[in-house]
Amino acid sequence: MTTYPTTEMPSTDTAVRRTDRLAGPAPRPGIFDELSKREIRRAVLSGIAIPGYQVPFGSREMPVARGWGSGGLQVTLSLVGQDTRLKVIDQGEDAGVNASNLRRLVVGHVGCEEETDTREADVIQSRHRIPEQPLQDGQVLVLQVPGAEPLAGIVKNMDEQRRMHAEADYSKMWVRLYEDIVHNGLITNAAGYPVLVEGRYVMTPSPIPRWDVPKLNHSEGVTVLSAGREKRIFAVPPHTLVEPLTFEDRPFEVERTPGAACRLCGSDDTYIVQEPGPDGTFSTWVCSDTDFCRRRRAGDAPEVTALEAALAHTREESTI
Amino acid sequence: MSTMNAPAASVTSASAPSVPAAPRPDQLTERLGLGIDRVMAESGLWAPQLAARAFGQARGDVTRATQLLRTHRTSLPRLGRSLPVRAGELRVVRRISSAFRNPPGGQVLGRTLDYVGRLLDLLPEEEGRQRAVLASESAHEHHDHHGHEHPGHEHPQHGHEDEVERAPGHVLSVFREMDIVAPPGDHDDPEPYDITRHPARPGVPRSALLQTMARADTGALLYLWYGSEWKPGGQEAHEVPGELRHGFLPIRVEHPHTGRPVTVGDVRVSEVVSFHSLTRASELPRHLDVGYGMCFGHNERKAISMAGADILLGHYEGTERAAGLQHDVLLTLDGLDITGYTEHQKLPHHAEYRSVLERATAAAAHQAGPHRTGPHPGDTA
Ligand SMILES: [Zn+2]
Repeated sequence: MTTYPTTEMPSTDTAVRRTDRLAGPAPRPGIFDELSKREIRRAVLSGIAIPGYQVPFGSREMPVARGWGSGGLQVTLSLVGQDTRLKVIDQGEDAGVNASNLRRLVVGHVGCEEETDTREADVIQSRHRIPEQPLQDGQVLVLQVPGAEPLAGIVKNMDEQRRMHAEADYSKMWVRLYEDIVHNGLITNAAGYPVLVEGRYVMTPSPIPRWDVPKLNHSEGVTVLSAGREKRIFAVPPHTLVEPLTFEDRPFEVERTPGAACRLCGSDDTYIVQEPGPDGTFSTWVCSDTDFCRRRRAGDAPEVTALEAALAHTREESTI
Repeated sequence: MSTMNAPAASVTSASAPSVPAAPRPDQLTERLGLGIDRVMAESGLWAPQLAARAFGQARGDVTRATQLLRTHRTSLPRLGRSLPVRAGELRVVRRISSAFRNPPGGQVLGRTLDYVGRLLDLLPEEEGRQRAVLASESAHEHHDHHGHEHPGHEHPQHGHEDEVERAPGHVLSVFREMDIVAPPGDHDDPEPYDITRHPARPGVPRSALLQTMARADTGALLYLWYGSEWKPGGQEAHEVPGELRHGFLPIRVEHPHTGRPVTVGDVRVSEVVSFHSLTRASELPRHLDVGYGMCFGHNERKAISMAGADILLGHYEGTERAAGLQHDVLLTLDGLDITGYTEHQKLPHHAEYRSVLERATAAAAHQAGPHRTGPHPGDTA
């Protein structure tokens, strides 16, 4: 019987192991390779280093449509580990269609812990809302962003947008707000109200209601905003100045409906959305933040909401 | 809300009694090869077996299949790059030139749905299929099947691809010798821009524009070239597709030990070179403009549209409209990006909507009387 030497060529097994080593730590099969996660984390760090600046990144294709949180999902997947407690909300609801789907995806991939209590979550991915519970030191809020560029409606040319940001030339933005007041008597920007971050970059806070905008100011938590389709990541680190753009004689207005309160928990200091009443008309209201509403009913929610705390902080600063 | 959350598992599950067994990937490849080719082109990924799977799992939705394929690629690390190959190495299974009656290298009609008037075949499926095979076999000359040089039969959807395999010279090089085409631009673009790692915006090198078009949604690209306002008017505005090819290109990588190029496989591509004499205000149309299109698979419409759009990009280069056209190419053609926006319309927006309604009510209250305290005066912060 002839024996063939087997030591001269590396076996297939060895070759596979070598190529694996090239790619860093052993990947969890499924969604995202480790090198890509590292690239996303670098973009997040750049965003934190330059608050409000849009960092371009090589957005990957995710198992959800670009528009269903593919940007937020990439950031969340890059941040969570097995011991992370992850909360995902859409319109404030943990049970929202988009939220459930994304949570299932991440938990299935990483094996991290599902969480609905805002206080207990390490990472909160959200579409269109910031929780009513004030964020704490160490918490990360990941916002899904459909349109990253606050100047998109003002100038179409991307070079010009970049120039305006680079030179902090926001005169056209101010003119737009002024014209709005002249034509309509007030600033009609509804959700996604433009803000100035740390006195430097104009940023869109993603389509959160104006109710949530003051919560970004001087927040204890980190906010990371990620647009998968537009391939940009930006961030607001803790204790950062975030001011909605407005004029001195036109105070910034949040959504409030006098006399309206949540039919479940009775709150009138939370962001409420309309629901059909017994007569079929949209006559009743419920909290959009379902976790906070549930805890209000259980007597387990703080007296002071994130908005009230943020407004108190802003008033304090302006009197100094 | 919770009902919207339920995944449509029953539709894809093969065990559900009312659902027939899913076709096998090889059956899909044989019957729906052009659809699968389109998926691979729009994915920017050559993977016939995976694309067939994706196409079946997406129930024939090209864009969803593209999403599946690109997402699968996201899960894989990138371990290396192949070496550049010259398009002249393309081994054609189809090659036509409408610029010449008999171009150097000849016309190779190959397997195509062109040339024959077609009616919907109402014969039983199997019988109709057999007849179609017979008709196609008698229509074109072909060599012995068994002389196939591709082991493993990686491209079964084109059973006749081995009929003719040769690499005729490009019509473009004939035109260059005749000095009737515009000389190649002097832009050096040796290190191709990678649009999957670096988001492209106007001002990027041509390699980024070509990559974007090669991966574009076929319909969107077709519209940009054919229907959009970018196409200059005028009686002479008509491209000539100088040459259309469909065939195989080798994939080579550098051997990790010897450093020498090694062929590790091949991909099937469509390639089009188009010519046009668009006049610029400042110069005479002495030279024909050249446009180039190439994408994975058998996608002639796409390659023709791409070459046409490439002519437009060259035409506007250096003008004030260049950034606008590049914007449209880079940001409105990717199938997943543009349909992502459509898909997101189906998600709930009520938190945002309440804010919009509040502003509308506040504006209406202001119109009714600026000094009146409206029902929604807002709250000052
Ligand atoms: Zn409530």
